[in-house]
This record gives sequence, C-alpha cells and structure tokens, in this order.
Amino acid sequence: MTTVWASLLGLALAYAGMSCLSFAMDRHHEQLTRGREVPARRRTGLRVIGVVLLAAAVVPCVMAWGATVGSVAWLGFLSAGALPVALLLPYRPRAVAWGAGAAAVAGGAGLVPVLAGLLR
Amino acid sequence: MSTPATKAPSQGGFRQAQAWLHTWCGLWFSWLLFAVFLTGTLAVFDEPITHWMTPEHHAEEAAAAAKKEKGEPTADRAQRLAWGMAYMARHHPGAPMWELWPSDAQGGGELRVFWFDANREYVGVTLDPVTGKPLNDGAGHAARATQGGHHFVDFHYELHAGTVGLWIIGIATMAMLVALVSGVITHKRIFKDFFTFRPKKGQRSWLDAHNAVAVLTLPFQFMIAYTGLVISGTSFMPAPKVLHYGTGPAAQMRFVSELSGSENPVATGRAMPVPVLEPFAARGQERMGQPVRAVVIDHPGDAGARIGVYGWNGDDDALRRLSAATSGMVQFSAATGEVQRVRLPGAADGGAAMTAQSAMGGLHMVTFGGWPMKWLYFLCGLAGTAMMGSGAVLFIVKRRQKHLGEFGGATARVYRLVEALNVAAIAGLAIACVGYLWANRLVPVGIGHRADRELQVFFALWALALVHAFVRQPARAWREQLGALAALCLLLPVVNFLTTGDHLLAQLLRSDWESLGVELGVMAFGLAALGALRHLLRKGAR
Repeated sequence: MTTVWASLLGLALAYAGMSCLSFAMDRHHEQLTRGREVPARRRTGLRVIGVVLLAAAVVPCVMAWGATVGSVAWLGFLSAGALPVALLLPYRPRAVAWGAGAAAVAGGAGLVPVLAGLLR
Repeated sequence: MSTPATKAPSQGGFRQAQAWLHTWCGLWFSWLLFAVFLTGTLAVFDEPITHWMTPEHHAEEAAAAAKKEKGEPTADRAQRLAWGMAYMARHHPGAPMWELWPSDAQGGGELRVFWFDANREYVGVTLDPVTGKPLNDGAGHAARATQGGHHFVDFHYELHAGTVGLWIIGIATMAMLVALVSGVITHKRIFKDFFTFRPKKGQRSWLDAHNAVAVLTLPFQFMIAYTGLVISGTSFMPAPKVLHYGTGPAAQMRFVSELSGSENPVATGRAMPVPVLEPFAARGQERMGQPVRAVVIDHPGDAGARIGVYGWNGDDDALRRLSAATSGMVQFSAATGEVQRVRLPGAADGGAAMTAQSAMGGLHMVTFGGWPMKWLYFLCGLAGTAMMGSGAVLFIVKRRQKHLGEFGGATARVYRLVEALNVAAIAGLAIACVGYLWANRLVPVGIGHRADRELQVFFALWALALVHAFVRQPARAWREQLGALAALCLLLPVVNFLTTGDHLLAQLLRSDWESLGVELGVMAFGLAALGALRHLLRKGAR
C-alpha cells in the first residue's frame, strides 16, 4: 500500500471515528439534533462504532509503514482526525456529520480489498 | 482516613497549586517556546526552503534530470572511483580523510568527492560522470551564500548561540514538560470538553482553543519535548561522561569512539599508496547487501589507512524505520584487505542504547515515513505553536476583564510588558521569519558574509517588532504587525518574480513542487494573518 493512500484512509477513518465519539456526547448531539440528551442505545452505538473506526485506522498505517512507524503514524492521524471535528462543530455540525458518514463509507470501502487480501 | 469534607479542599488546593504552576511556568516560557515551535515546525521543511533559497541551483538540477532522462551513458563504478581518487590524489593529497560518493543507488547520477580542508571544514566538489573532470558551471561560486532552511533548524534548538543557546532551549523544554503535566491536572473536564470549542465568547473561546489544540495533539507535544531533551542528553547531564572520561577534545574523541564501538584508525607514518577501491566496494556491497553510497578513506597514503564502504538505504528502509539515518557499513584495513567491522542496515553502532538514541533522534526529526509524516508533523507542530500563542494571549485576556493585582502597584506595568511581549513574540517572530526569505532575495549575491547578513535581517526585524510593540498601544501594535505580516507573506511571490523572474505558474509547469509548496505555504500564512487582522478590526469597530 502506498503511503499517500494509507494516509487518506487513516485520516478518513480517524476523522469518522472521532466524529462518532463527539456525537455520543450530549453537548455535540444537541448541536446536531437539538435533542438535549443522547438516547442511551444511540450513545452506546455511536461509541462502539467510533472505537471500531479508530481501531480500523491502524490497519492502513501498519500496512504502509510496518508496525513501528505505523503505530506512530496512527497516533498522529488520531490527532489530525480530531482537530477538524473540534474546530468545525460549532460552525457546521451537519457538515461534520455528513462528512463523517462519507469518510466512514469511503474508509471502510478502501479497507475491504486490503482485508480480503489478508484473509486469502 | 479523611472524610469527604476534609478531602475536597485539599484536592482543590492541589489543583489550584497546579494551575498556579501552569500559569506562571507557561507564561514566562511561552514566548521563547512559541519561537521554538514555529521555527521547529518550519524546520520540518528545511530542504524545500533551502531549495527555494538557492535559485541558482534550479537550472543545474533541471539539466541533470534531463540528462538522466535522455539516458546518456555514464561511467561505471570502478571508473568513477578511480576518477574520484585521482582527483583527490592530485588536488588534496594531504587531507586526513577522503570521501567519495560514486553514484546514486541505481549506479547513475553525479560523482562527488568530499574532504576536510585546512580549516577543518567539510567541503566537496562534483565531478562529471562522463569525463571525470570537475564541474564548475554555476556550482559553488555563483550561488548565493545562505544558511537556507537550516537557519530554522539551528535556531529552534540553539538560537544560533551554541552551547549557551542549547541550554536555554533545554531549560525551556523542561518548563514545557512541567506545563504539560500541570496543564492536564488543571484541566478538570478534560474528557467532557474533549471536542469543545465555543467561538465568539472572548476569554472562554481562548481557553477552549488552548485546550483543544493541546489535548487533541497531546501525544505529539509530549513526544516532541521529551525526544528534544533526550537528543542532547549528554550535554544536559554531562556528569557521568566528565567523571569517566574527563574533559577536552581527546576525552570527547575517546567517548565517541567507545560509544560507537569503533577504534579510531592510527596513522603509522609509513607511506603506502591507496589501493584500487573497486574490489573493496564490491566486497562491501556483498557483505552489507546495499548498493554503495560512499567510500571513505581515513589516512590515505599511510600504511594504517582504513577504508569504509557505506550503503544506500532503500526507499522502504527510510519509510519503515524510526532510526533511518543508519545504513549498512563495512570497514577494511587498506593494507591487508581484511574486514574489520560490519554494520548491517538499520543497526546503530554500539548496541541497544545507541539504537534507542538513534530512534529518539529519528522520532524528533521525522527522518521516517516520507512526505505524509512530514505533513503530519507540520500540522501537529502548528497545533503546538497555537497552544503556546493562545496560552500567552489567554493570560492577558483574562486579566483585561478583571485586574488580578498579582504584582501590587507594579501590576499594570507587568501586564503592559506581557502585552508587548505577546505581540513581538507572536506577530513579530512571524514577520522575522518571512523577512528572512525576503532578505534572501534582496541582499546582493556577491556580498561578503552574505549568509550572516540574512540572519541579521531576521534578528533586526524581530528586535524592531519588539520596540514597535512597546511604543504603540497593544491593540494598534497587533493590527499593524499583523498587517505587515500579511503584506510580507502575500507579496513574497512578487519579490521572487522581480528578483529571479520565477513565478508560481512556471514552478507548476516544471513540476518544481518544493518551490511551489514554499510560496503557497507562505501565502497561506499571509491569509491567516489577514483573517486575524479582519477579526481585530471588526472587534474594534463594534
């Protein structure tokens, strides 16, 4: 996997994961939906999906850079993915949510051939 | 056992103590650390900046690339090494070390030779790979003398002040680690406020921004401060070394050679011509499994001469290794031809401690991972810069609302000092950085000590910004310096066009991504300064 491709995938997955974690919090859920509190099941769901996406971001990193540099890159992408979430939420919460959905789908789709290759 | 009633105040006391520590430790070092972070962030791209600052080399590089594309036949390694040796034997027979770089990893490219001259300076010359004659056209004498992007590297860890500067930066870095730890303890709602940023709320917004950039990039900030200290560990904690080895150059040499596990070769005084190098190169390549990057001869012409063969790291090595700086190496005795030492690619000299040290250095200087990692470091470095700047501004914004009177009668004067230092440290330093690039284009090419003149412009602009910040009212000083910064950044491509004739479109057409990246990056900083200025003007109008 080329490093540019891995960077795009890692960034997309980290951003999507961080968005899910943010919308599982009352304050940011309210920014998006005007609903005061996050329903309990949705909160759990968003957290699980968020953690899974963040964990998935490690896959392209390790594939492109190996375990040593890959784990450093992963930590970096977690930071890089979280910054736009925090800075855009007060201005464009809907755009953050739509962007997260698109990033999750694109990141997931990008991972499919990789994982299929690993299983074969 | 303490009851909850007694526990709560003691916890509050601890947190308050940490807040006090964070505020004052952070404030007094924030200006210096802002400079370290901004220049350190720019230092990530020191090579592209150097490229932009040496426009005389662009034509040469283009010609070399065209030659390579045409596939002009060049000499093989044996011939290249023979030419290099002949050049050194003829022009610099007395040099204590000859270093020949025969070719790139594919066996093509330039042939270069290096040595230490009479002033112990490391110098080199490029030889034509087709004829073996030195290349003189355009190289060296005609190019403008400049430190290029290395100025930012040097400034961010020793302020161009040698050991004294290194110590100042080391103390500031310690203070940064203290501020990071005390900041995390002070931040009561670190998880609840993880993604929180509330703009247009004055003091609250500054606090949110300060927290967000710091918390979200915390692993990077800890790593960069810690590795920054570790790299110069023996300078900051010299006692064990001094006790064991003593002081002075001889002690230092013994320390380095024992650390790397290699003996320094000793000249015997008996003359012996340098043997033909190609057999050594071929055997070295076989032992380390890498194409030959350099052949180094210590004490050439002496019977005690040593020949070291160094390898080219493959692209993959540089991507996947934290300590990418070390390549394979094989050392031979020139007299007997026997192998003295083998270092395999990726291994550091002298065992696990040196490998760890090398990985720490790689981690700090982002020698690994290629361009994506450099951009990631650039982004996180900017976040760190923003952390320092927002912290310093937050201190004074908080006190503009409510005078806290920490310094009794002198409080107003101290606040004024802090305001002025904020302007000069943030906007003023940025002006000095872009002014350094302006100086590169405006200082005449032939002038003596030209590289120093560029540095003088950098420091003079910074000093001027400091004076200006004290003379003008803070609000005006901010506006004027941000305006100057925006103008200098946005007009840099114009100056470049007027002085060298180069422009963005030409850079794009010849795929000169480094020059293009530098100019677009500087313009992005200019737009950010313009945005900040607009924000201040609107706030002033309200």
